[in-house]
Amino acid sequence: MSYKYTGSRGSGSMSWFLQRISGIVLVFVMVGHFTLMHYNPEMGHLYDRVYERMQNPYYQMLQIAFVVLALYHGLQGVWNVYRDFKFPSWLNMAVLSLLIVAGVGFGALGIANILHF
Amino acid sequence: MYQKSPTQEWASSVVRYKKFPGSWAWLLHRITGLGLTAYVLVHINTLASLQEGPEAFNAKMQVFMQPHWIFAAWILFGLVIYHTLNGIRIVIIDFGKGAKYHKQLLYGAVVIGLIVFLWMGYIMFFVHTDHDFLSNIVSFF
Ligand code: HEM
Ligand code: HEM
Repeated sequence: MSYKYTGSRGSGSMSWFLQRISGIVLVFVMVGHFTLMHYNPEMGHLYDRVYERMQNPYYQMLQIAFVVLALYHGLQGVWNVYRDFKFPSWLNMAVLSLLIVAGVGFGALGIANILHF
Repeated sequence: MYQKSPTQEWASSVVRYKKFPGSWAWLLHRITGLGLTAYVLVHINTLASLQEGPEAFNAKMQVFMQPHWIFAAWILFGLVIYHTLNGIRIVIIDFGKGAKYHKQLLYGAVVIGLIVFLWMGYIMFFVHTDHDFLSNIVSFF
């Protein structure tokens, strides 16, 4: 691609940047999630504990941010790995579409899980 | 003529290259990242049983409270802690002056990671569960 007229746009620098930003935010959410879920086995595995947490709308908002970020960061990461190989361009389109569909689909399911409460 | 597929090409070049500590760091970051992504998809799917009510969810999660699954979750935590600490290291290298001491950062990350990993194992196996560590390991195999 010629970068003459577009600057760095379309070069992937934005996803590079967002991968880092989403990574930084995930540090805090991830550490919190693991500590919460395993501090005591009931916390991570009993419906009533989940129910209690989900009564708090701020917790719900945090969880929604978590699903969205984890999916964005993870699937964008898979795309990153894929792009290190050279495949025919029809396959690129197929894989990209599949990743986007997976992101939207699992994102919707994840958010529905939270808003169910 | 026999042609290598892109995957074979990549695999053999990965095997062939001389690996510096940073190459292992990169490869592990990749593997843990892909593993975590697969986990998140499965995880969200499992959690969908929250929508079916307490019985369905508890029945499903009962399985994961068994000792060998807790052991598996500990291993999962190993992936998480490596990817997290090395991710922080990458960000320091890219946004800060980390390139000057990237190896020290890596060794630091490994040491901190091992400590946190063992500490988490202590919490998971000794503090809150009725079963002890050894029987967890034994029941895993
Ligand atoms: C806990 C905080 C996390 C941090 C700080 C973090 C950081 C990073 C960074 C900086 C990269 C870019 C690597 C590069 O471009 O060389 C990356 C890649 C990646 N991350 Fe994360 N990440 C975190 C959590 C996660 C989670 C939860 C997942 C899974 C859902 C994940 C999946 C991936 C994948 C698949 C890649 C691509 C690997 C590659 O390009 O080689 N990460 N991560
Ligand atoms: C084995 C240890 C884990 C346990 C027991 C666990 C348990 C749970 C539970 C019970 C929830 C329901 C919401 C809540 O109560 O807050 C949840 C949500 C979530 N967890 Fe985990 N988790 C674990 C590890 C992980 C890891 C390693 C990741 C990321 C890589 C992750 C990502 C998520 C996400 C994105 C949600 C929101 C999902 C949704 O809305 O459907 N979890 N987890």
